[in-house]
Amino acid sequence: MSIFTIDEVKKTFTNGEVEEQVLNGINITLQEGEITALVGASGSGKSTILTIAAGLQRASDGKVLFQGKNMTDMNQDQIRKIRASEFGFVFQSSHLVPFLTVEEQLLLMLDVSETKMRKREQRDEVEKTLKLVDIDHRKDAYPSSLSGGEKQRVAIARAIIHKPKMLFADEPTASLDSKRSKDVMTLIRELTKTLHITTLMVTHDEEMLPYADHIITMKDGMVV
Amino acid sequence: MNIAWKEIKKNRAKFVILGSIIFLVSFLTFIISGLSNGLSQDNAALIKDLPDGQFYMNAEANETYNLSRIDESVQSSVLKEQKDAVAISIQMGFVNDMDDKQHSIAFVTSTDSILFESVGKGEVVLDRSLQDKGIKVGDSLTNNQFSGGFTVKGFVDQKKYSHAPVAYINIENYKEIYRVNEMQLIFVPGKEKSQVITGLQSFTNKEFLNTIPSYSAEQMSLNMIIWFLVAISGMLFAIFFYMMNVQKIGLYGILKALGVKTSRLFGMMWYQMIFITVIALALSVALSQVFTMIAPEGMPFSLTIETTFQLSIIFLIIGFIGATLSGLQIKKVEPLQAIQQGEV
Ligand SMILES: Nc1ncnc2c1ncn2[C@@H]1O[C@H](COP(=O)(O)OP(=O)(O)OP(=O)(O)O)[C@@H](O)[C@H]1O
Ligand SMILES: [Mg+2]
Repeated sequence: MSIFTIDEVKKTFTNGEVEEQVLNGINITLQEGEITALVGASGSGKSTILTIAAGLQRASDGKVLFQGKNMTDMNQDQIRKIRASEFGFVFQSSHLVPFLTVEEQLLLMLDVSETKMRKREQRDEVEKTLKLVDIDHRKDAYPSSLSGGEKQRVAIARAIIHKPKMLFADEPTASLDSKRSKDVMTLIRELTKTLHITTLMVTHDEEMLPYADHIITMKDGMVV
Repeated sequence: MNIAWKEIKKNRAKFVILGSIIFLVSFLTFIISGLSNGLSQDNAALIKDLPDGQFYMNAEANETYNLSRIDESVQSSVLKEQKDAVAISIQMGFVNDMDDKQHSIAFVTSTDSILFESVGKGEVVLDRSLQDKGIKVGDSLTNNQFSGGFTVKGFVDQKKYSHAPVAYINIENYKEIYRVNEMQLIFVPGKEKSQVITGLQSFTNKEFLNTIPSYSAEQMSLNMIIWFLVAISGMLFAIFFYMMNVQKIGLYGILKALGVKTSRLFGMMWYQMIFITVIALALSVALSQVFTMIAPEGMPFSLTIETTFQLSIIFLIIGFIGATLSGLQIKKVEPLQAIQQGEV
């Protein structure tokens, strides 16, 4: 069943006088519970389409349909609400909040997504999610004392704690070594399958492709 | 979850520094304002401590009480009509004590009134500050314009005029020293509107204070200093909050990307601003009150708790405006910016 559709999306950046068309009509359909990998040369527009899909920037033209609703018609606050409760993100760097402990990072996300839970349940949920990514022993640590891989696992935990429908990941393994990358991919794959999340992921790394259900290749702002 | 508080807890040093700056600036303002009030008290406590009312001086005196001569018949008719009215005269002068040391004082004389000391002929009541100069009750003081001597009958607190201690003397003695028969001023206490008395010009207490040239000039410069301090501290607050917000643009972007409302980010900033400012101001108020107690004797310093609270409220408002203006950039932060910055 398709849950997310990118329909003829175009993106033009204006740098002073120069107009640069970065996306020339992208069509992608994502199936529920599957991992789709976006690959392609540097500058082909992968990150741009991913951030448009994730509601972090707007398309110049075309439609982005999430569960049948057109996000390009929504206002800032409607998109924010969807980001808060239905989407999770993982980026190349983990972007954790520097003054919150690992546990608090996840509690904040539960708070922002307005997940209705009692204090106790919240703590249990955080505990469970941290166990999933195997970082529960560091729950009181601040980001500055975590290794790159540990940070990335916390970022993944934060991206899924509120049980989002969609997970958007832009080179989530780029800052990790080969072994850690595989661990993280195994984790993402497991989580997508058990929690029934739909994942759109950009990657440069051929080794990560076996973890995806579909592979979409981009070139010069087009799907090939 | 209270993220504002979490941040304060984690970045204690940063917030302590910001708090100390607010503390220092507000403390400085309190002290200057205490000195200003003290000076103003020193300059005109005699007038300032009178109840609200109306001063009258001769309309031809050019608003200078020193030049005012109120006709005796006018005076007696006003005093007869208004029971509480009092005629007064003030002149700067000198007295010599028993060791022939000269003291600068303000001679004050009045008709019978509860508002002014009534003293008999050849007697004087002095401001307490002269006691510290070695003058005692029973001492005899002289003045080169005066044939007899003045016997010190007692001391009163906080009666200063033009930075000199007040010496209350009898009308007859005053007339002899200054060779005048008329009084300079009539004061009618009471909140009623001034009535028109032919030949006389009326002043409220405040208006009268402003006719004293040294007083108005001094107050103007002191008030100027205070308002400059307040304005400069306002800008300082704004700049500091601005710098803090600029540092946090990345953080705001991440929080926005996660779906945190902009209003919550503003709330976070306000919480931190109010938290720091209130603590810093409380410390500053407390310390300035301690300073009031330990201020050296004779130093003109007067700072009431009301004044510090008023200034504190002004500081809070200024801090709030500064933080909010500098926080307007939060609205403009694009979540994407923060994410891409991390990838550089
Ligand atoms: N904000 C922007 N303003 C102007 N041009 C932009 C902006 N963001 C991206 N671009 C341009 O759009 C094109 C696609 O960028 P994008 O980041 O999507 O590429 P990518 O496929 O993710 O590349 P990489 O694999 O190197 O991450 C690039 O040529 C880039 O210069
Ligand atoms: Mg990219």
